[in-house]
Amino acid sequence: MKQRIAAERPPKKKKKITLFDAVLYTVMFLFVLTLLYPLWYVLIGSLSEGQDYNGGGVFLLPRVWSLSSYQVVFRDSELYMGFLITVARTVLGVVTSLLFTAGVAYAMHSRELPAKNFFHWFNLFTLFFGGGTIPFFLLIVSLGLYDNFLVYIVPGLYSVYNMIVISSFYKGIPYELREAAHIDGASEFTVFFMIYLPLAKPVLATVGLWIAVGHWNSYYDTMLYTSSKELHTLQYYLMRIVTLSSLPSSSGNLPPEVLQDTISTTISYAAIVIASIPVLCLYPVVQKLCFSQGVTAGSVKG
Amino acid sequence: MSFANDGPKKTRWTKNTVQIFCMALAGAVFLFVFAYIPMFGILLAFKDGDKELNILQALLTGEWVGPEHFVRFFNDYNFKNILLNTIGLNLLMLAINFPAPILFALFLNEMKNKRCQRAVQSVAIFPTFLSWVVFGGILIALGDVNLGIVNPILRGIGILGQDEYVNLGEAKYAWFMIIVSSLLKGTGWSSVIYSAAILGVDRDLYEAATLDGAGRFRQMWNITLPSIAPTVTVFFLLSVSGLLNNSFEHIYVFQNAVNLSMSEVIATYVYKQGISNRLYSYTTAVGLFQSVVAFILLVASNFVSKKITGKGIY
Repeated sequence: MKQRIAAERPPKKKKKITLFDAVLYTVMFLFVLTLLYPLWYVLIGSLSEGQDYNGGGVFLLPRVWSLSSYQVVFRDSELYMGFLITVARTVLGVVTSLLFTAGVAYAMHSRELPAKNFFHWFNLFTLFFGGGTIPFFLLIVSLGLYDNFLVYIVPGLYSVYNMIVISSFYKGIPYELREAAHIDGASEFTVFFMIYLPLAKPVLATVGLWIAVGHWNSYYDTMLYTSSKELHTLQYYLMRIVTLSSLPSSSGNLPPEVLQDTISTTISYAAIVIASIPVLCLYPVVQKLCFSQGVTAGSVKG
Repeated sequence: MSFANDGPKKTRWTKNTVQIFCMALAGAVFLFVFAYIPMFGILLAFKDGDKELNILQALLTGEWVGPEHFVRFFNDYNFKNILLNTIGLNLLMLAINFPAPILFALFLNEMKNKRCQRAVQSVAIFPTFLSWVVFGGILIALGDVNLGIVNPILRGIGILGQDEYVNLGEAKYAWFMIIVSSLLKGTGWSSVIYSAAILGVDRDLYEAATLDGAGRFRQMWNITLPSIAPTVTVFFLLSVSGLLNNSFEHIYVFQNAVNLSMSEVIATYVYKQGISNRLYSYTTAVGLFQSVVAFILLVASNFVSKKITGKGIY
């Protein structure tokens, strides 16, 4: 898309650098620096020796290198537990939610759906009105989802907003395809699984990406709906280390020479780096999704 | 909201219609449980259910207490601060964070070197994918009085004297931290949609304008901006309708023991009083109060939007 438009432009004969360009590129460079430097700052902090770091002034490279902070975090079994829970809820959450929401979207998109108007308004109403934090908490408790792994999955199973996004994508699929399949004797389930799901891949990838990011980054539901350690997610674990400065539980049984080289700040930086690595690794893939049509399809018209 | 196709109204029950009916019904049952039942839970705001072990029973059989919980909230010594923070932060974030991505997309479009443009965009989008714990934690670390880089920079460019320092953890900087963080985290991602809209603008318009002697600012103001105005209106109304829904995860990260007077909002207050202190009825009332204020703001902004742009949400 971008290349096509670039090609349509008349080729420039001479590149002129105006004052406007100079200011623009400088400002953009500073903006990029503002976003990139913090990541660098945390990385070098996590690789620094604690006592030395505490003296301040470590901004470009560690003065005294040390991996002790990572040793402390990597010895913590809670990190692995949190990682496992987070991966499990992300994978399970994305798959179940996409299947369920895409299925309902298929039904809502269908012309033959009985009581269509009722379903339409029943869905829309919830976009504007809700019960609030405490009534929802009460519901979670009453359903027996409190302190249960399913609390991460079940409430996110369906989203009206995603349903609308997916069904607006369905509109681009020729309805005749569906009718032809029915004439050949295919049931609605078959049409959904064999025709609509494969064709809706771009929108499912985009919606799935956002569900996944939500799962990966959430700590609110852990705070509200769980009490046992086994259900702590990675972000909740991180939140406790970063904002409450609570040391990892492993620090009690570490050799003193390792602990000596760390302070709570460098440990929390190491935890931040470890938790961000998966996001960093997946970013190129994610970016491809961002710039493919999926993200903007259906949201911009004209 | 037109995901419904207009079709024949007559219902024929066949094997296929039963199947799709069941699929739609599954969604409706889900919404009934997770969206409609909590709406009845609002009744708890008018009942006596604080500290109850079985909140469900409190909801069903609890004693009616009328507006007592609301009165208690209005008389809370924190009430003014919480209300001011909730409304102030939201309006400021709307006023600053809404135009920022538009400006960013406009200026990004002016970068004629496509490779640079793409690189800047990639970096700008990245923070969206970091969690608030990570992103907020990093920003707080940068502002640390002893170890952070903010103070050395301010001293370096002469804003602060050699012995002066700012402590970004103080209450007076709480709004600054919250707004700047959301600006840095969200601008890049929100601008993607505007960049896409800008790509759709007819290139001939620019050529014609150049021939007529229009400069780049003129072109941005008189061609690009009017061309993406429909997209802007849609997203303005969307962000207004999400007003007061301030993200708990965002603000909670920036709270500390000394800045609560400027950082406590209704969402965090409800969590602390409701979940930690088990004041279920009281915080249901507080939550309901927030919904009512949000609704009033929505109606007001819709009125203003209709006056100015002729377009409203309803």
